[in-house]
Amino acid sequence: MSISQFPPPASPSPASSSRSLASSSPASLSSSSMRLWKPAAQRNLRNQWSKLSTCRQQWIATSSAGRSHATSLVNSYLSQKYMPMMELGVLSDMFDIKKKALNKLFKQQSSYRINLLSSYKELVAVVVEMVNASRSLRCYTKPSSGSLIQFSASKEDSNDAGDCGGIAVFSFWNVSAFEKMAEELVEMFKREVMLKRLLVMELVSLSSEVPQPVNISWSVELYQGEFDDLTKCSLYSVEVSEPILPQVKEDDLGVSISHSNQPTAEILQIYLTTWIAGVNIHNHRVDEILALVGEEIRVTF
Amino acid sequence: MEAVIRKWQQKFRKGKEEMEKWESLQVRWVSLFRNASSIIQRLQEMQNHGSYGALRCLKGIEDAVVQQQMDQLEIILRSMKSVLDEFRGCVLTLERQHRDGLQLLKMEPSKRRVERIGVKPCLTDCLEGLSILYNMHQAEYHLKSSILSALSCLILKPSPGDLNALQYLVVDQPNIPKDEVQHIFDIIFAEDVN
Repeated sequence: MSISQFPPPASPSPASSSRSLASSSPASLSSSSMRLWKPAAQRNLRNQWSKLSTCRQQWIATSSAGRSHATSLVNSYLSQKYMPMMELGVLSDMFDIKKKALNKLFKQQSSYRINLLSSYKELVAVVVEMVNASRSLRCYTKPSSGSLIQFSASKEDSNDAGDCGGIAVFSFWNVSAFEKMAEELVEMFKREVMLKRLLVMELVSLSSEVPQPVNISWSVELYQGEFDDLTKCSLYSVEVSEPILPQVKEDDLGVSISHSNQPTAEILQIYLTTWIAGVNIHNHRVDEILALVGEEIRVTF
Repeated sequence: MEAVIRKWQQKFRKGKEEMEKWESLQVRWVSLFRNASSIIQRLQEMQNHGSYGALRCLKGIEDAVVQQQMDQLEIILRSMKSVLDEFRGCVLTLERQHRDGLQLLKMEPSKRRVERIGVKPCLTDCLEGLSILYNMHQAEYHLKSSILSALSCLILKPSPGDLNALQYLVVDQPNIPKDEVQHIFDIIFAEDVN
């Protein structure tokens, strides 16, 4: 579970290499700076992990809103599809009743589509925030002219690994231990958001018109700026100019995505089930990680 | 005599509280059942690779979805079990009211057991009411318990017809006819009616 399935993040995070750098830096080992570093690092870790925990809650809420938009979209699409075959009984005498109903359903779908896309956009935003938080767990010394030592989240001295030579920040864990936990957590959400992307792509391109009016493919942005967001999460591959392919298992290399034309009601049912299932997010493990971290930093999430 | 009747009415008030608790459990029970039933109905489709459309390109998707849904189902069934235990708690309380009533009645001379003052119920009415309420809820508890085992069996062999029939029983609570319950309370609290 802890092995990265995506290219390593752009920011410097591999702990092992920077650790040796840090121990060679005398500044980060002096006891007075260590004394000052600890509270700053503790504060930072508490803040970032609270953010991660909040993001998880937001994910749950947004994913559930997305599910209900997706369900409405599917239901409306199916009604539209079956409308021509429907027996309307006494209503069939009404002028243009089917045409009017179809029109209404058509309009409905376009608003559900917009809602679903905006839920997806929110999900991506949540993952971006998680990735940012998980990459901001280090605490760097800020060079200052005065005698006061200050700390910052950005690296300003190439010798400073931001982990104070790998010392324990609270009781037992050093910064890289926190990073490992954060990475494991964020990785699940990164993978799930790509699976959701595939589902959104399939659902928003539902149309009973033949040929299909909009041709959405994996390499097309679902909303403006999507690829910038995905790049921030290392979910966009520059080499092939499209997002990383979704995967469920770690050893899956990902075959190309083929868009299914006019999926059946059964397939749509499975799409919705897959949305609900959230197979990449192992909730008990997420709870466990948050509980372990919470215990270490003495915060209840 | 008035004081004795009041004591009995108190038992019915306690019974009423218990039945309100039952009602709120019933709401949870119905929703748990619906969730479990919809997962069971989807299970077969979930195991059919052909139903995955564009998701087919993801290796292991079926197993992952089925596994997750089975885990979810297990959680739901466990919650149903604990709601069932709470139902049992209600039945036990109703049983205690009835048993206490039985003891109470034994202490009264037989003449007073059927004595009636105005619209007030006689003591035999009271005992009979408590007995009916207890029996209804006990029978319904047994039904719910069988429904839960039937549901667990359907996981292996899903049948939409059976699930629908069970759902009907779950929602309907056939052992607790509402009008009959109301009739009992109308007799016991006759003076409060209107």
